[in-house]
Amino acid sequence: MHRANQHIQQQIADLIKACASYWELRGVACESSHEMQLELEQHLQQAVSDGKSLEAVLGPNPVAFAEAWAREMRPRVFRRGIVVLRGLVYALSVVSSSALLSQLLTHSPVFTFTLFAAFLLIGSGLLALLLQLGGFLAPRISTRAGREALLLAGVVLAVLVLRLAGMKVNWSMALLSWSWPVTIVLLTLAVFLFVLYGWRPSHSEHTFSVRRVPMSVASVAVFDVMLFVASVALVDFCRLALRLM
Amino acid sequence: VLVETRSTQLLKGTLDMCLLATIAQRPCYGYELVQQLADQGLTLVSEGSIYPLLSRLQHLGYIEGYLVASRDGPQRKYYRLLPAGAKQLEQWRAEWERFAQAVEHILKGARADAQSQPAYPTTDR
Repeated sequence: MHRANQHIQQQIADLIKACASYWELRGVACESSHEMQLELEQHLQQAVSDGKSLEAVLGPNPVAFAEAWAREMRPRVFRRGIVVLRGLVYALSVVSSSALLSQLLTHSPVFTFTLFAAFLLIGSGLLALLLQLGGFLAPRISTRAGREALLLAGVVLAVLVLRLAGMKVNWSMALLSWSWPVTIVLLTLAVFLFVLYGWRPSHSEHTFSVRRVPMSVASVAVFDVMLFVASVALVDFCRLALRLM
Repeated sequence: VLVETRSTQLLKGTLDMCLLATIAQRPCYGYELVQQLADQGLTLVSEGSIYPLLSRLQHLGYIEGYLVASRDGPQRKYYRLLPAGAKQLEQWRAEWERFAQAVEHILKGARADAQSQPAYPTTDR
């Protein structure tokens, strides 16, 4: 009983997260989105405790529900810019810091941004987004593991299809390469954009979430390590896997 | 199935009016509104469909939402009627009464005809 309750709570939490991400992408105001999440969560909780299913609240298509509500909330395109800015800040932070680390560790004056690094950066961003939006499948695929397995299967299938279509990729191909001064400029730009993102007008007051700084720095550092490890080990692994496929 | 579909469609077309009329009785929160509609025999296909409508009514200035502190959890959003909403509700009510009267008139006429005449014409008029 307790396990079943935990399970349904997880489904509700994942659905709310998916709706929140969707509304943010659609440009719904942050304050409105919080209220919508609160209302929806309370409704789902009460419906479940009355023995109703999640589908009874959201209908057969939770995305259509989220879209219908978003449309009525007067979404603005400029608010989507904030999401883009956040992605840009993160990508720029990862690229500039990994360039700095690479130049420091290898004593090389030039940093090369490869196709593999770009793929990893964009791919992980998309994956994170898809994992969040995957919460929309919660009424049908109740476990998070099940949804993740479906996503993984989709990715593997896409790779297989591309491979069968004869697509070959040179992962170590250099997309961009730059020297020390550019790295410093990029790093400065990343810090500037981070501060700009943090100080963006939120309602009438300016808020800067200081608590988020260590978390963001840690997240960028983890990604840097991942990028470094991946560029050394994963390229060989992927090559081997693709050969086997 | 046909009856279900018709009643679903009828409810879809009048849900905003029903919500406004329910809120006019007393301020309610989302789940309460669904329950009150269900008590009157109006069951929604998806309960969540009231929220986009509530947002629309709010933007039109017919109702307003406000948060109320709850004893056993986070704040709850209630909706109350505004003067513009009361005026609109009167207009919708009059419109509905005219519409329902016309439909009823047609249905009564059809029933009377069906009772007085054979199902198929026997002679060519």
